[in-house]
Amino acid sequence: MLYEKGLVPPELIDTTRPSPERRAKGPYAVIECFQEIPCNPCSISCPFDAILPMEDINELPRLVLDLCTGCGICAGVCPGLAIFIVDESKGDGTARISIPYEFVPLPQKGDQVLALDREGQPVSEAQVLRVQKGKKNGTPLVTLEVPRDLAHTIRFFKTREEQEEMIPSAQAALKSEDSQTNQELTILCRCEGITVGDIRRLIQEGYTTVDEIKRISRAGMGPCQARTCGPLIASEIARLTGTAVEDVEPSAHRPPVKPLPISFFMEDATNEP
Amino acid sequence: MSLEKTASIVIIGGGVSGCSIAWNLAREGVRDIVVLEKDTLGNGSTGRCGAGVRMQWGAKRNCQLALYSIEFFEKANEILEYERDIEFDQSGYLIVAANDKEAEQFKKNVALQNSLGIDSCYLTPQEAQEIVPHINTSEFVAATFCHRDGHLNPFHTTEAYALAAERLGVKFYKHTEVTGIEVKEGKIQAVQTNRGRIVTPIVVNAAGGWSKDIGLMAGIDIPIFVQRHQILVTEPLEPILRPMVMGFAYNIYIQQVPHGSIIMGRSDATEPFDLRVTPGWQFMEEMTRTCGTLLPYLRSAKILRQWAGHYCNTEDAQPIYGPAPGLEGFYLALGFSGHGFMLAPATGRLITEMILDKPLTIDVSDLDIGRFERRELFFEYSVV
Repeated sequence: MLYEKGLVPPELIDTTRPSPERRAKGPYAVIECFQEIPCNPCSISCPFDAILPMEDINELPRLVLDLCTGCGICAGVCPGLAIFIVDESKGDGTARISIPYEFVPLPQKGDQVLALDREGQPVSEAQVLRVQKGKKNGTPLVTLEVPRDLAHTIRFFKTREEQEEMIPSAQAALKSEDSQTNQELTILCRCEGITVGDIRRLIQEGYTTVDEIKRISRAGMGPCQARTCGPLIASEIARLTGTAVEDVEPSAHRPPVKPLPISFFMEDATNEP
Repeated sequence: MSLEKTASIVIIGGGVSGCSIAWNLAREGVRDIVVLEKDTLGNGSTGRCGAGVRMQWGAKRNCQLALYSIEFFEKANEILEYERDIEFDQSGYLIVAANDKEAEQFKKNVALQNSLGIDSCYLTPQEAQEIVPHINTSEFVAATFCHRDGHLNPFHTTEAYALAAERLGVKFYKHTEVTGIEVKEGKIQAVQTNRGRIVTPIVVNAAGGWSKDIGLMAGIDIPIFVQRHQILVTEPLEPILRPMVMGFAYNIYIQQVPHGSIIMGRSDATEPFDLRVTPGWQFMEEMTRTCGTLLPYLRSAKILRQWAGHYCNTEDAQPIYGPAPGLEGFYLALGFSGHGFMLAPATGRLITEMILDKPLTIDVSDLDIGRFERRELFFEYSVV
């Protein structure tokens, strides 16, 4: 589940939940990091040594809940946005969740937002209690007030503006129960917003090379220059036409390797005219 | 899909010209038309071009061909019943004169264009700046502008023609390379391909960069030379450059497409005559210097990609239209000198009229292949 769908299975989630006593006592960190990767900012940033030092940088972080104050420093430095601060100590049926949020514009204190679960499905309305700008290069933390029984369900949110601006295909995907439809609506080329369904329709129309699909749909013409979507399109072509993926001609890659300003190539020029 | 064994007409080249010729012929009721393309539709010069279309030319024939073509593009989505959009954006062409000599030529060009019903005008640099704010007016002495010029999407335009032609029964064979042309007693007999042979009395050579090779297969040496031309494209930006800006002596064309990217190109007379399309570093330096001087506010725009295609040039920078003398059934639609995309509607119409022996909508009898031997040439200088 974790590696196939990117969703953390419930049995792993359960391991992050502290004892009822600790939950009643005050805020604490929830570290939803289950994949061994070379990464250690949480353990070296904790001022209370609540996240144990790692002998090997690939280790998963180990949290000592008795030392954790729920200060949120680790949540702000985690590059995977995998750490949340939960406070269930109010005793009035509500809980507070601090969520790392890297989009702009940031929501404002008092905003009503739509709280989402780990799969991105809406589960309740929530109010923004606090917005902490990230310190140094840290990620801003947005604290929501949510029903206590959803404290271990809610992990993200959408602002009102985002709900209104959500592109139709994404809205349909959210509503759809059908996994086939969901897959069709998955964005394959992120630079140009082209879905898997768009690509499949073009292949069915007879466009069976990556370059042809690029020219008709713009998939691969954006800032990443097909570095992400090119192989995905090739694999769709291979699957639908019954060819081996290595026999599908890749799209042409042209210089520059990364986007560079016009002034970069001009001798003695600056960005300022 | 197996190859047809016979055809009434075989069109070699699945670029916009070949597709336009196929559609025009089919619309006149011709059946059993086959289009052969060695790669994919629009993979040659069409899909690599700068996508601009203009009527501001110095040669009368080019003006007439462009006027016919722009009037077609204005209605092409409807005529071709195209479900996508050819994205024709008529935001005009501003052409700058780098020196007094060029400015004098521009005055003559505008007079010619106006006499043919093309609504262009002659401008001072200050007037030009009202059309393109921020342009560096110290870099040019005069300009001309035509508001009906513009640009459109070459891939969608080619597809629009091809789909419309296909609905009328035209057969398109992609990845099918012509390997030989059979000729007997001065007449076309058949076309050989890597996938088989097609018996046909008529062949149209619309093979762009490869049209010289196709001509040689039929024993005709066509006086054209192929050169690499390069283009670069930036990241998408907010709308900041509405018309195409172009200069011949200045050596630039630059436009912002509806999607927001800025596309620019220039020519290099020192390019060798061959079919290379690999991008070169020198172009990047020269192009950015030209652009960054004329339009300094674009210096911070980021370049995403550069690519190259072919110009199939003639000596006078005008196309070669019509039958090849001494070889019955062999028609030429080539030598567009970088302007094949924008002239495609006229090309399709005129080649169809020639094959069906109908009166010509535009008298292009002087654009035949024989003009080079006769030395009856009118040189088009308005080219980048």
